[in-house]
Amino acid sequence: MTVDDPRPAPVGAGRDARWDERRARTAGLLAEARAGRTEALGELVPELSPMLWQVARSAGLTAADAEDVVQQAWLRLVTHLDQLSQPSSVASWLVTTTRREAWRRRSAGRRQFPAEQDWLAAQPDQDPDAAEQAVLDEERRELWAALAQLSPRCQQLLRIVAFVPRPDYDAVAAGLGIPRGSVGPTRGRCLAKLRAILLEGEEGSPDEQPGG
Amino acid sequence: MNNPEADGLATANQPVDETDFVILGRVRQLFDETDPMPADLPGRIRFALALRDLETEMARVAADEDAPVLAVRGEERSRTITFESDSLVIMIRVGANPDGTARLDGWLDPPGARQVEVSTSGPPLTVLADEDGRFAFGSVPRGRAQLTVRPESPGLPGARAVVTPELIL
Repeated sequence: MTVDDPRPAPVGAGRDARWDERRARTAGLLAEARAGRTEALGELVPELSPMLWQVARSAGLTAADAEDVVQQAWLRLVTHLDQLSQPSSVASWLVTTTRREAWRRRSAGRRQFPAEQDWLAAQPDQDPDAAEQAVLDEERRELWAALAQLSPRCQQLLRIVAFVPRPDYDAVAAGLGIPRGSVGPTRGRCLAKLRAILLEGEEGSPDEQPGG
Repeated sequence: MNNPEADGLATANQPVDETDFVILGRVRQLFDETDPMPADLPGRIRFALALRDLETEMARVAADEDAPVLAVRGEERSRTITFESDSLVIMIRVGANPDGTARLDGWLDPPGARQVEVSTSGPPLTVLADEDGRFAFGSVPRGRAQLTVRPESPGLPGARAVVTPELIL
């Protein structure tokens, strides 16, 4: 997989009818939940929870605390439905709530390992079977090395935004403090830096076409 | 391109493009492999949400006498808010104490000696409503607050707690 995609397009171009359908569906589920059928929110859980898991884990929580914080965020959503005027604010609200609670727990002394670096210490599992696995491993090591060059704050931020469903990217990025440009979210310093490191690596490797 | 750091900062203001999403996809894949969410977590969360339906009933704001004007700290005015759910109406009047905290007087309809809890930024406060459904919290910290009215006989089937939306005192 090359990161040098020949068709760079602003994020707005990724919009299509499915985004509108998703938005309408979310609005419908929120309305059901407001009417007292909390269970309706459950339909949003599979898509948004992996993002919240990374929010909690990147803040340095243990797996048990992370599970608890993610579940609490969903249950709190039930009592804050009035604050969510837009379907697009659900993901952002959940991220903010999970982050806040994760910080609170960490500062309450439950932290059991250094917050930012623990995942870097754990090397990815090696998958031994396929032949193409070697290429994947190489890419993974390269990405790992590139991430390690970033500040802990950037590592944490990118780990979160990588899990944001695309239609929610704009709102969540804004909630995380990534500046918004005229047509949508900007790349931000962390992603810009990671991209620069990866592109530099590609240009430096002899068997890869640098492209535009 | 010589200095990745300088280049990174120079393009930070540009809009996110497809290349960025390819990179983010790789980051996601990396963490999906190294620190995946437990596969059964979504199921457990959905179960908790469904269970909540059985145990609690959401009240909604039925009337807020002066919704745009929040009770201002130290000001001698009160605010009356009515919440209603399928089974219960909760009316509260929020007043100001000289020390800056809020006073909360409330009524339940239908009346009943039910436990009323207010969760705030601090520890939750609990009082018991009287037979006429009246209850009062003499001093509640300002800020976010939420009321939970417990069922009179929690053991009975169908006895559910009623929870209000969060309000700002």
